[in-house]
Amino acid sequence: MTNDNTLISVQDLKVYFRSGHECARAVDGISFEIRQEETVCLVGESGCGKTVSALSILGLIQTPPGEIAGGQIMFQGKNLLELDEEDMQKIRGNRIAMVFQEPLTSLNPVFTIEDQIGEAISIHKNIGSGELRDCCIKLLKDVGIPSPVQRLKDYPHQLSGGQRQRVMIAMALACDPDLIIADEPTTALDVTVQAQILQLLKSIQETRSMSILYITHDLGVVANIAHRVYVMYSGIVTEQGNAAQIFHHARHPYTQGLLASLPSRSKRGKRLFSIPGTVPNPAYKPAGCPFHPRCPHAIPICGKEYPKMCDYGQAHLARCPVLFKNSHNPDKPEPKSI
Amino acid sequence: MISFIGRSVIQKIITLFFVSIVSFLIIHIAPGKPSQVDPMNPKFTPEMVERFQKEFHLDKPLHVQYLYFYKDLFTGETVSWKDNQSVLKKIWERFLNSLPLFIVGTIITWTLSFPIGIRSAIFRGQFYDRSATFLSYLLISIPGFFFAYVLIIFVVNQFHVPVIGMETFGIGDGASLPYIFMDRIWHLLLPSVLGATGGIAVLSRYVRSQMLEVEGQDYIRTAWAKGLPPEQVHYKHALRNALLPFVTMFGLILPGLIGGSVIIESIFSWPGMGRMAYEAILARDYPVILTVNFVSAVLVLAGTFISDLLYLVVDPRIRL
Repeated sequence: MTNDNTLISVQDLKVYFRSGHECARAVDGISFEIRQEETVCLVGESGCGKTVSALSILGLIQTPPGEIAGGQIMFQGKNLLELDEEDMQKIRGNRIAMVFQEPLTSLNPVFTIEDQIGEAISIHKNIGSGELRDCCIKLLKDVGIPSPVQRLKDYPHQLSGGQRQRVMIAMALACDPDLIIADEPTTALDVTVQAQILQLLKSIQETRSMSILYITHDLGVVANIAHRVYVMYSGIVTEQGNAAQIFHHARHPYTQGLLASLPSRSKRGKRLFSIPGTVPNPAYKPAGCPFHPRCPHAIPICGKEYPKMCDYGQAHLARCPVLFKNSHNPDKPEPKSI
Repeated sequence: MISFIGRSVIQKIITLFFVSIVSFLIIHIAPGKPSQVDPMNPKFTPEMVERFQKEFHLDKPLHVQYLYFYKDLFTGETVSWKDNQSVLKKIWERFLNSLPLFIVGTIITWTLSFPIGIRSAIFRGQFYDRSATFLSYLLISIPGFFFAYVLIIFVVNQFHVPVIGMETFGIGDGASLPYIFMDRIWHLLLPSVLGATGGIAVLSRYVRSQMLEVEGQDYIRTAWAKGLPPEQVHYKHALRNALLPFVTMFGLILPGLIGGSVIIESIFSWPGMGRMAYEAILARDYPVILTVNFVSAVLVLAGTFISDLLYLVVDPRIRL
C-alpha cells in the first residue's frame, strides 16, 4: 500500500504496558500511513490507544511500564523505533512536532512564551538571538496571536485557553516540521475557540504543505478536516477510508454505532443512540473481535476468530467479515438503531 | 509591591503582639515558681523569697508584670534572674556561637539534599534511588543522640581529635594560629554534620517527591516532545518548577537557629542558643525564656516574610 509520497507509515505497532502480572495491550498491532500534505484522523473513544500510538511515534512512551512490543514506524526511510535517543531528539520537534490536549497545563508556567518558543527553535537550529526573537514574533503572528511583540514577555497564565493552544501550535511549527501530531487539541476549549483552532490548523496545513495526524473522538471535527480516517477500537484499527467513505458508507458496526450516536437535526428531541457496554479493559480483552460483546451483528464465530481486514475497494477497509459477507447478500440486515 | 510589604509588616506586628501575650501567659500558667527553684538552698529563706518577688515584680498582677517585662525588653534592660546579666547581651553571645553551627549545617543539608533528591527522582526505581531511599530512612530512624555517640567514638578513635565543646579547653595558650583554626574546624564539623544528616534524609525525600510530581506534568511531556536533551528537561523545565515549594521552606529555616539544635548542643556541650533556652526553662528564668521566645517569634515572622518575597521573585504567577 506504500506509495511514493508516503511520509510516515506505521506497521503492526504494538505497545504494551506491564504492571505486576497484568499486561495491558494498549495498542495491539495497528498499521496506518500518512501521505505528504494530508490530514489523517485517528478516531476512537477514550482509552482505545490513540494517544499511545501518537506518543510512540515520538518515542515518548515511558519504559517501564510501557514497552514497544513490535512493529515498525518508517519515517523518511528510517525506522523510528530503532533510532537511539540522540537521533530521536533530532526528530522530535524538528521533523515531527506535537500539539497536546491540554493547553492549560502543557506550557511550563515559569517560563515566558518567548523562552518556550525560542527554545524549540534554538535546540534544532543554529540561530542568533536577534533572529530568534524575530522568528518567535513571526510564528505568533502566523498562529493569529494579536500584538505578538507584547505577548513574548507574557507567561502562560496571562493568556486565555485558545491563545495558549495557539502558542502550542506556534511551538510545534517552530522548526517547520513535516508532520504535526495534534492530540485532541480542541477538547479543552470552548466551542467557538475550537472552530478557530481547527480553522487555524487547516490553513497551516494548506499554506505550509505539511501533514497532520489529528487525534480525536469528535466525529464532527473529523468531518471538518480529515482527508482520510482511521477508526480505532481497543488498540486496533477497525475501519479505514477517506472521509466520505467513513461517513456515508461505514462498513464496521463500531463506526456505524459512532455515527448513529451523533446528534443531528432529524434526531431533534429524540434520545441519542449509544453503543451498549463499555470499552474492554486493555488487560482483559475478549477473545476474537474485541468489539463482539457490544456488536449488534455478532455471531458465535466473532468470539473465537480474530477478524480480518475486508477490502471494499478504493482503499476502504473494515475489520468485520460478518458485514462483509452480508454486504454481498441481497437481504442484508440494516444496522439496528433505536 | 510597597503596599504588600506595608500590609505584611503590620500584620506581622499584630501577630507578634498576640504571641507576646500568649507566651507570657503560658509561662505563668506553667507549674512552679521562679522563687522556688531550689528550696533546699539555705539562702532561700522566706525573707529572701519575698525580696526576690518584690524585686522582680512577681507580687504584682499579671498584666502589670507583662507591661514591666516588655518595657524592659524594648529598652534593653531585661536581666536574667539567675545571674543578673543583661539578657540581650547573653542571647547575642550565644547567637554568635550558634551561628557557625547553623550556617555550616544548613549549607551541608541544602547542597547535598538537592542533588540526591533530584537524581533519585530521575532514576526512579533504579539502584541509585533504592539505595538513597534506604539510606535516608535509616538516617531518619536512627535516634540523633545514638548516632552522635557512634560518630564521636569513631572520630575520636580514628583521628584522635577532641570534638566536645567549641574548642579544646585551654588551647589559646601558645598554640599557633593554624592549629587553633583546625581545632575549631574539627569541633564545628561533627555537630554540623550530625545536624545535617537528619535534614538531608528528610529534605532529599521532599525534593524527590516534588521532582517526581513535576516530572509527571504535561509541560514536561511538551519539553520532551520539543526534542530537548534530558538534562534540559530535568534541570531546566522540571527543576525550576520543583524548586518553588522549597523557596517557602528556605524562609522557614531561620527559626531553626534556636530550636533546631538543643539536642546536638547538649551532646557536644556547645554553648549555643538552644542550650541556653533549655537551661533557662529548667531554672524558670522567665526573662530569658520569654526573650528567646520573642526572638524566635520574630525569626519565624521574618522567615515567612522573606519567603513571601522570594515567592514573588521566582513564581511569575504571583504578582501584586
